[in-house]
Order: sequence, then C-alpha cells, then structure tokens
Amino acid sequence: MNKIKYYFASILFLSGAVLMAQEEEGKEERKPGHYNQSRFKQLYEEFSTPNTYRSASGAPGPDYYQQQADYVMDIELDDKNAKLYGEETITYYNNSPDDLEFLWVQLDQNVRAKDSKSPLRNGGGVPLAYRTSSFSSEYLTEPFEGGFHIDYVKDANGKPLSYTINQTMMRINIPNALKSGQQTSFSIKWWYNIPNHTINRARSGYEYFAKDGNRAYVIAQFFPRMAVYSDVEGWQNHQFWGSGEFALPFGNYEVNITVPADHILDATGVLQNRKEVFTKDMMKRYEQAKKSYDKPVLIVTQEEAEAAEKGFAEKKKTWKFKTEPGQMVRDFGFATSRKFIWDMQAVKISGKDVMAVSLYPKEGNPLWEDLSTKAVASTLKSYSEHTFDYPYHKAISVHAKNQGMEYPMICWNYGRPREDGTYDDRTKYGMISVIIHEVGHNFFPMIVNSDERQWGWMDEGLDTFMQYVAEQEFGEANPDVIAPNDKYPSRRGEPSKIVPYMSGDQDYISPIMSNPENVYQLGPNAYGKPATALNILRETVMGRELFDHAFKTYSQRWKFKHPTPEDFFRTMEDASAVDLDWYWRGWFYTTDYVDIGVKDVKKYYVSNKPTKEMEEYMATRNLTEADLPPLVYLAEEGSEDYSDDLKGKAPSETSTTLKAYMMDNMTEEERAKVQEPKYFYEVTFDKPGGIPMPLIVEYTYADGTTENVTYPPEIWRKNDAEVKRVISSQKELVGIVVDPKLETADIDTTNNAWPLKDEKSDFDQFKEKVKGK
Amino acid sequence: MKKMKKKFFVVLMVLPFLAFTGAHKFYVSVTNITYSAKDDALQVTTRIFIDDLEKVLQERYGIDAGLATEWEAELAEQHIKKYLRSKFVVYLDEKPVTYEFLGREYDNDVVICYLEIAKINFSERSSITVQNEVLTDLFDEQQNIVHFKWHNKKKSFVLVRENNKGMLNL
Repeated sequence: MNKIKYYFASILFLSGAVLMAQEEEGKEERKPGHYNQSRFKQLYEEFSTPNTYRSASGAPGPDYYQQQADYVMDIELDDKNAKLYGEETITYYNNSPDDLEFLWVQLDQNVRAKDSKSPLRNGGGVPLAYRTSSFSSEYLTEPFEGGFHIDYVKDANGKPLSYTINQTMMRINIPNALKSGQQTSFSIKWWYNIPNHTINRARSGYEYFAKDGNRAYVIAQFFPRMAVYSDVEGWQNHQFWGSGEFALPFGNYEVNITVPADHILDATGVLQNRKEVFTKDMMKRYEQAKKSYDKPVLIVTQEEAEAAEKGFAEKKKTWKFKTEPGQMVRDFGFATSRKFIWDMQAVKISGKDVMAVSLYPKEGNPLWEDLSTKAVASTLKSYSEHTFDYPYHKAISVHAKNQGMEYPMICWNYGRPREDGTYDDRTKYGMISVIIHEVGHNFFPMIVNSDERQWGWMDEGLDTFMQYVAEQEFGEANPDVIAPNDKYPSRRGEPSKIVPYMSGDQDYISPIMSNPENVYQLGPNAYGKPATALNILRETVMGRELFDHAFKTYSQRWKFKHPTPEDFFRTMEDASAVDLDWYWRGWFYTTDYVDIGVKDVKKYYVSNKPTKEMEEYMATRNLTEADLPPLVYLAEEGSEDYSDDLKGKAPSETSTTLKAYMMDNMTEEERAKVQEPKYFYEVTFDKPGGIPMPLIVEYTYADGTTENVTYPPEIWRKNDAEVKRVISSQKELVGIVVDPKLETADIDTTNNAWPLKDEKSDFDQFKEKVKGK
Repeated sequence: MKKMKKKFFVVLMVLPFLAFTGAHKFYVSVTNITYSAKDDALQVTTRIFIDDLEKVLQERYGIDAGLATEWEAELAEQHIKKYLRSKFVVYLDEKPVTYEFLGREYDNDVVICYLEIAKINFSERSSITVQNEVLTDLFDEQQNIVHFKWHNKKKSFVLVRENNKGMLNL
C-alpha cells in the first residue's frame, strides 16, 4: 500500500499540461527529430576551437603573436595647393610562425581616387528630383582627383621593389619570402590631394574658411600603412570601401612634419623639438599648464590665432614627433592650421600626469574654451577607472566641423556654435558626447586593438557603452555644466532607446556579428545595440560588480594586442562565472528581440475535496481517496470545485489533511509562528520574443505593498514560449508587471501588465494637451 | 520662452530612435502611422533630427529656425508645416488626403511632429500609401522609416529618394 502511495505521489508532480499531452499523443503525427535547438546551447558551433594562440579562457594563448610595423616619415604640407607629400621607411617585423611571400600595404586614400569602385557598389534608380548640387557633382563636374600617387617603392638598398595595386591595397612583391622571426625595411614616396572633408564626409582633410582664406587640416590615413597579418585572418586585406574602418599593427613612429611657419600643429607622439617650434611665451604657458590640474591654460590665445590668420607664412617649420619606447601606437594623425587656439591641462591618472589638450579655430568658441579640455580630462579618468590606466602622455581633441573621428592620442570633433557665439543644448551635448566618444576610442580600438575592418561593433559598441558610463560620470562630476538636467542626457545606452531599432522590419536588420559594410544601419547596429546589450548585461543580467571586473579583465588582457569577438565573449564568462552563451547568441548572433509578458493569472484556494479533474484521474485508475496519501487540493476560483466559503481562509482551516499534518509534525509553538498563505495564483508568463532574459516581476498586493522577484533567464530553458509560476500570499494579489523599470529593451510593453492597463497612447496624450479635453 | 519638454511617461508606440555619436552621422527619420479605431483616424508621429530639419529650413526658406532654443523663430512651425506638406503625403485608395498638423515637441535632438487624418472610413478603404521624401532633397543618404500599425498588424517600409512610397493593401 505504501508503495502505491509513493508511486502516486510522484505522479502528482507531473503538471496538468503533461498529463493532457499524454492523452492526446495517440492522435498526433510523429514529429521528425531535430538538432539541439536550445537557446541555452553553448556556442561551440559559432566559436572557433581554442588553440595555442587564443585560449579557451579568452586570454591570449602561449603562442599568441602579433606583427610590428615601425615608421620613419618625412611629411610636408603644401598649404597653398592643399597637397600632402610624404616619404616613409617601414620596418616590418614578422613575429608570426609563417614565412611571408609578400607584404600588404593599405592605400586608404584610394577610396577617393577617380577610378575608385566604392561609389559603384551601391544601387539606386532615378529619383523624382535631384538636388542641383548633387546633379552637378554627379553629371556636370569632374570627380575629385583623390588617391595616392606612388612615386616609388624601394628596398633597404634603394633598389626599386615591384608592387601591385588592387584598389586600396598594395602588394609588395618582395624578392625573397620574409622568414618567420625576421624583419625587413622598405621605403615609399607618395603625394595626394587633400580633400575638403566638409563636402563629402571624409574622415580627414581640410575645412576652408572663406572669411579669412585659411584652412584647418585634420590629417589621417595619409600614409601607406601596413595591413595586419594574424592567426585569425592571415592578411587582413579586405578592401577599404568606406564603412569598415581600420585594422592596423602596433609600431613605433618617428614623424617629421613640415608646415608653414605660422601653423600650430599637434599630433600622435611626443613632440621632440618643442623649443624650436614654440615661442618663449608658449614655453612659459606650457610649463604652467603642466601644473594646472583644475583648468586649462591657453598656449595660443584667440587673439594670437586671429592675428595669425591674417597672414600666410612663406617660411616653413618642421615639427618632430616620436612615440615613447614601450608605448607603441597603431596609427598616426595630426592637425595643423594657423587658425588654431591651443589649450592644455594636466590630469592625474594613478599618480601619473597626462595632458588633456584642445585645438580649435575661433569659430569653436566660446564652447570649446569652456568644455573641450574638461571633457577630455573627464573621459581619461572614467575610462582609466573601468579599463586600465591611460598609457600615453596626452590626449588631444581637435575641433573640426561635422567630424567625429579617432586616432591614437588625437581625435576630431564637431560642435560649432552659431556665428554670433550662441549655441543650443543640442550642440553643447553633441560636442561633449562626441569628445567623450572619440577620446574614449584611445582605449577601444587604439589600445585594445580589435579589427575594425571586420568587426565594427568591437570598438564602436564597447566604446559607446563606455561613453554612456563616462557621460553619466561627467554629469555627476559637473552638475553645473549639465544643469538644469539632473543627469547627463545620453543619447544611447538606455534600454528603451534601442527598442525602435530592434522592433523594426526584420528585412533591414542584421545581427551585430556582421561586417560593417553589409549592414543597413551601421549606427544602431554597431554602436547603439552592442552598447545597450552591454549596459543591460552590467545593470540587469550580471550586476555591476561581476561585469566591471570581467570588462576590466578583458581590457587588461588585450591592451596592446588584437582581440577577436570570441576573446571578449569568453573573457566575460571566464572572469565572472556567469554562463552568457545564451546572451551572446540572442543579442549578438541573431536579430531576435526581447518581448516578455504576463499572459494569464488564475486564482486558487485550498480545498478539502479532490478537484473534478483529480476525481476523473482517480476513476480511470480505479483509485479511491482512501488509497491516496494525505493530499492538499487547490480549487480554481470560478470552477465547479470552488465555493465562496473557501475564499480568504487559512489552508489549515479548510484542509483536514493539512491540519493533521501540522499537528503531527509541528509543536504548538511552531504552529503559532506559521503564517499561512490564503491566496494562491498560477501565473503564466509568455515570451513572444526570441531572446531569453531574466524575468523581472513586480507583484502588487491589495494593501499597496509590492514585491519584486527576478527569475533567472534559465527559467526559459525548457520552455521557450511560456512558463508558469505559483504565487502564494497572505494578501490578495492585485497587479503584476513584467520589467517594471524597462530594463530589458522589451519591444512591446502592452502585454507586460496584469490586469491589462488601458494606457493612453503618446499620440492621444499629445492631442489632449494641445486641444484640451 | 519655449522649454525643452521632459518626458515622464512611458512611451509605447513611438520611441526615440538612434542616430549617431562618433564617427559618422546617419540620416534617418522614423514615422509611425497608427490607425485608431476609436477615432477612425490615422495618427501620425514623425521623428526628425533637429539639426537636419534646421538645415533644410535654412536652405529652402532661408530661415534660421533655432529649433528648441530660447529664441526659436516664430515662423518656425509655419515653415515646418509647409515643408512637411510638400514632402510627406498620405494617400487613401490612391487619392491624396489632407492632415491636421497638431503640433510638435522636442526630445533631445529630435523633433516629433504630430499629424492626424481624421474620419477616414477605414473599413471601406482598400489601400493606404505614404510618400515620405523628408530631407531627401538635402541628403542623398536619407532613409525615412515608416511603421504602420492597424488592428494589431504591423508593416514597415524604409523609404529612400529613389523609392519614396510605401503602399499598404488592406
């Protein structure tokens, strides 16, 4: 008898749904088998097998290697004709285990060559109408004469080297393979026409100021640069089409730049001949700036810049820069103009001084003198705190119209006041945000050197995530600057802000894990969505402590190295003990979205009688109540098992078996302490969205109290569509809200509440406001 | 003095969309067209970047609109209306219909315009077409995204200069 009871008791654990399914089984056609489709399946198929170059932990492996390219360059700017001339010697170190039969060099300027294939790769028909300027540039005028003109490529002995140019890539046909562990040097001489970057959104070039006839140059991608050779791509020689940015090896740089003598210039690297290029006044002010930790000191004043822009020096000056030993960079950029105002201040990063620097024409004032260097300093502090100490000696923010582009130690940023010097909040916050973002790029990808050509999100997404954190910290540190806002108005990062993208037309959404050339909207794809995904991971899935440690571990493992997406994904798990394969899969490998709701709520009360369903079940098995172990039954309100007298009673009042159990197993004292729940609910949560997320629920009771429960995402692991929970309470449950604080980027919140809320739409609220009731 | 309006309520249908920070600017507007059975009306909200809209007002009408600033031009709304009427057209059964411009508000760097097409006899209609050429006169890369919602159904279009119309067969 006892055996039967236990057997029966174990059957009772099966849910009603399963019992019903068994009854229906006979009628159904047999379904075909399938592979493991669990959303919690590990990413073994997506990830490559770990090897000795890259470990399963996400850290560099024992055989990890990277190539090195050192550059010695002489550059000259022809300011009258906007041409740039250069000569470089590249020393390339083959640290790979492979012998290289040829070398690949990147010629990024060729994307603007007349024969560039870049403009030919996009389709498009005849529009209803052309803008006159577009029509003119398309059909009436010759295209810009851009692109590198290569004068020669020579080996270390001055003998010409054969080369082949394929669009933006140049193969150097070295006569003998460069053996593993060896190095080689070769020289290239070139020139190109500098584009006006304000016309066709080039990442570098000049802006022309018609009023004073001067140009301000922000110069980058200005020299033939070595491509990356690595264990994951071999040569990264995917063409530069325009969207996929750069993949560059680290190296030491020695660069001499000759410009008109009245130009003010700053660049990547340490200025070697400060005394030659600075006036005595500038030297004095520079010494002050090095000791000024609270505000910038002007090295060149607006008055001096305005005086300079009236002239045009025929004489030249050479500015010499060099990177410091052990502090390699992956690229080089510079800005130069006679229009530049220049300010600097010192920032303490873990006891070391770093200079925060700004260069701007007077057109940037008063905004730039007030906020640029402040934003640079704040960014260096925030990012260093969350990743690693900023290793370079300076970070420069240059004002260039419509720009937002990053290079080691230097970046170009927009944010221009109107001509009368007034500016709106949009311009102000746009400027602070872009400075934080571009200075932040020093960390990702300048130091944590991911492959931008292949994975736009690895630097843009991580940087936009850190930008959000740094913006919030900027707001906390500078309440006067952001007043009357009480927090910094970040444009990206908050979960709700990615909803329009993730709920959009699936035909026009690509997974984050896509090449930047092939996505429909690079902004949300490579910036907004990964930044939001990381923010949700930090705030909601992992918590700040676990996330911050793991994120820092990734940054430190991969600084001055070349990480892949898997190195990031693996490290985040390795350092936190949180299995995140489901998260990477949902957010990064698919275009799935989050939509979780509350579907149904049933009320139950404890009853002394078996329910009808239970009775039927017993009848089919020829059992009577006497055959059963002591059981407690729950009757659903409104069903035939229910009667009003069950409502609001303590279970032990209603159920004699329960009462007996308590008498047998508890002392009087223990019984007195028991707080018996009087209300029982079966809540069904459903998940129309593909991404499993933590199920965050707020329960509200009749007395106004609330209870918040977060069920881990694994609650969805065995049932992807819906899941039930039983809630017991001494108080009546009056409301359930899923994701009450909008933490998960749930794309449809109309199904998030029980009882359903009849909320007025945005539109109706606005209409009421303008029209009155 | 016009003040930037802060939003406290939960935005369900229309949410801020993303543009750019960082390396590149993206030219996008997002329009939601929702059928309200209660009013038998099409409720339209269109979200456009303030700086892009200002630029087009400057180029076409020569006004410095100063949107969302303290000194916003008095003519601004009139010109926004004028511009929208020329660039945003809704057709019911392939015939253009007029809409009421209810007003606009600002959210960060975006202006949200509210338009309503009332009493449309929805049940008797066989198609709704939207032609959205907003900012395509200024930016070659402009994408105008339109989301239709009616009776729990959804359909989206991405409209560009060469393909400026989306048609919904009911």
